[in-house]
Amino acid sequence: MTDERSAPGAGGVLVVGGGISGLTAALEAAEVGQDVFIVERNPYLGGRVAQLNKYFPKLCPPSCGLEINFKRIKNNRRIRVYPMTEVKQVSGSAGSYQVTIETAPRFVNNNCTGCNACVEACPEDRSNTFNFGLDTTKAIYKPHDHAFPMKYVIDADACNKCGKCVEVCKYDAIEMDMAPKSMTLEVSSIVWATGWNPYDFNKLENLKPESSKAIISNMMMERLAAPGGPTGGKILRPGDNKEPESFAFIQCAGSRDENHLEYCSYICCMASLKQITYVREQYPEAKVTVFYIDLRTPGKYENFRDRFKDDGNVHFVKGKVADIVANDDGGVTVIAENAVTGDKVRETVDLAVLATGMEPAAKSAGAVHGLTMDDNGFIISDAGRGMIAAGCAKKAADVVTSAQNSTAAALQAIQASRR
Amino acid sequence: MAEGVRVEPDLNFIKFLKKAGGDSMKKCFQCATCSVVCPLSSDNKPFPRKEMIWAQWGLKDKLVADPDIMLCHQCGDCTAYCPRGAKPGDVLGAIRAYAYTHYGFPSGLAKLASNGRNLPILILLPVIIIGLLWLISGGAHIPDAETMRTVGFGHFFGHWEFPWLAKNVAFIDAIFLPAVAFSVFAAYKGVKSMWDAMVEQVAPESDFRPSARQFLVDYLYPSVVEILTHKRFNECGANKDRVKGHLPLLLSFIALFAVTNYGFIRKDIIGIFNPAMHGPIPLYDPFKILANVAAVALLVGMAIIWANRSRLEEEQGAGRTFYDWFLIGEIVTVGVTGFGAEIVRLLGIPSLAYFLYFIHLVSVFMLFFYMPYTKFAHMVYRTFAMAFERFRDSNFVNPAVTDDE
Repeated sequence: MTDERSAPGAGGVLVVGGGISGLTAALEAAEVGQDVFIVERNPYLGGRVAQLNKYFPKLCPPSCGLEINFKRIKNNRRIRVYPMTEVKQVSGSAGSYQVTIETAPRFVNNNCTGCNACVEACPEDRSNTFNFGLDTTKAIYKPHDHAFPMKYVIDADACNKCGKCVEVCKYDAIEMDMAPKSMTLEVSSIVWATGWNPYDFNKLENLKPESSKAIISNMMMERLAAPGGPTGGKILRPGDNKEPESFAFIQCAGSRDENHLEYCSYICCMASLKQITYVREQYPEAKVTVFYIDLRTPGKYENFRDRFKDDGNVHFVKGKVADIVANDDGGVTVIAENAVTGDKVRETVDLAVLATGMEPAAKSAGAVHGLTMDDNGFIISDAGRGMIAAGCAKKAADVVTSAQNSTAAALQAIQASRR
Repeated sequence: MAEGVRVEPDLNFIKFLKKAGGDSMKKCFQCATCSVVCPLSSDNKPFPRKEMIWAQWGLKDKLVADPDIMLCHQCGDCTAYCPRGAKPGDVLGAIRAYAYTHYGFPSGLAKLASNGRNLPILILLPVIIIGLLWLISGGAHIPDAETMRTVGFGHFFGHWEFPWLAKNVAFIDAIFLPAVAFSVFAAYKGVKSMWDAMVEQVAPESDFRPSARQFLVDYLYPSVVEILTHKRFNECGANKDRVKGHLPLLLSFIALFAVTNYGFIRKDIIGIFNPAMHGPIPLYDPFKILANVAAVALLVGMAIIWANRSRLEEEQGAGRTFYDWFLIGEIVTVGVTGFGAEIVRLLGIPSLAYFLYFIHLVSVFMLFFYMPYTKFAHMVYRTFAMAFERFRDSNFVNPAVTDDE
């Protein structure tokens, strides 16, 4: 066995993406002795999971899964993490890839202790992308409360280079002259765990999402409910901070639609059911209506759905919402046809949550790196070439499935590197 | 769903729909987007979602007795927003095509006129009738340019000295009056069957029925006004441009109808006393001006309809069906040969003028004789479906106060 380890090209594994899938694949590979590089575009690890309030179906906070993985990474010397880094170029072939990566300047070095003095001094604001623009941060900011690595970062587009943060930083942690860094990694296989983006709901023109602040996406709902979110975990209507008395969950907002995403995004039904539990915790009497084509709660998730059977204030309407009208009071009226009764339903609610689906993040970049992709932009693994897809880069999936197929991806990556 | 419902699909019906442009219907997964984006659908039992599942299940009897299939103007909004490419607009169009054949009287002729394979027969029938009558009429020769200048097509079927009824008029009447009368009767029979089936389907709670006056004033008249103003057509979203073709076409038909009647009165009634009225109507006559304007409007309208239909097929993948193109072909032929015959007559080329005039008569015959079975039938079926919609929403069907209360 040891001979195989020393075979030519028996290099490390590059994991592209530091979300739950990338972390899982990296740890599984590293913990059996493989050298692993994690490249992550964001200044923090954890990906989409970090943005959730809770996981389904156990409803624990995402920090419980992520913290363990972060600890494993800290304790594992075989893993090297490159945040704020993107893959620029891939050359070579199976067993021996040369990957050029580029790290964007963070402008904050390892001296940062997270004391927050810089934020207090900073005069510039930026839209908080972690919270989907629901609030703002300063131009120098902490990515989020549980960020790992716990280091601040400067948004170069928002920063006016006034230098006030440099003045107040007691630890010389801020380097305004930091430049992008490029390097080439020698690896034998690549795990693409590039994850997903929420489908841009502004493309759903018939739902007129820009017409009202009462129309939000399911990921915005996660942030509204999360303790570290823009409202400190209180679900309030963006814009006027009203405590909503009624909610509409609009399923398949862009999914199962050949004009948008033609596939089922798999998680949205469960995500909406989960979000009903958020609503119930805060507003026990709020009226909730779920508009769906099919309520897809596969396998054991069926039990989760049964939780709402006896809740008299939760209604399920079979029929896709195809029109939303903004009302003067800040609410909206959602319009669907109840396909069971055949009547048109006009439900006026304080908050409408669009269950937008998953769009593979590698959609446009994948082809550049010579990846095989299906028509929807999901990456098709080619284990023979050492190009392996994991998590939601492979298919729309929940966290459990992502962790499973990422473990499988780790094994394939190890095999590819020992051939 | 306490009691099971046995669905008995009519497979031939499904096959017909697939051929008539409804081949996408099985893709529908009942998300009901269509019923919401449809600009013409009402809040009460909207369409076309329910029609889509009835079509998938082959529930022919339910569909042909459903006024909603006729109320659809195929705006195409449903098709544009359909997440599955099931094209509800096209499916409803195919159902309408089926309904015209289903209610068509006599059914043999209705079936004949609904299948593209029968096109040669459909053309040959009027060619033989009109051609034979032309041959035996005594007018079967090409006139010289001078005769054409003075009498126009007035001696197409020959000439006799009987002053009260010109020979040409006698022949034209002998061909077209029975044809139109038959067509009107057939349309009446078809619409009557449709109305009865629709009444049976809504099963009015009240035993009372509207009077003839109520029917005309409250249901039919407002429907006709709506049609003339294109009120619903204008509400269409995706294929809004279709109004630009249909409106000039409809108005040109009305104008040409008026001009035809004017020509009849002028030439064949006033002409009895004043023989000078027999010849072609001079170009400066207001009615002739109207006729020529209408002819241009007809041709422009048809060009727009043609272009729209082609674009629909290319861009939205709508089916290229006999149902749609037969009517376009008929009206284009009527327009081109009618206007062409007039121009060639004025240019003084009798042989070509006579040829075009002959084709014109044939195409006019086809247009009206086959009207109750082709897409042209929407003229009557949709009008009465719109009247039925008013009846359906009235107290006759939904009594404000029932006997039980």
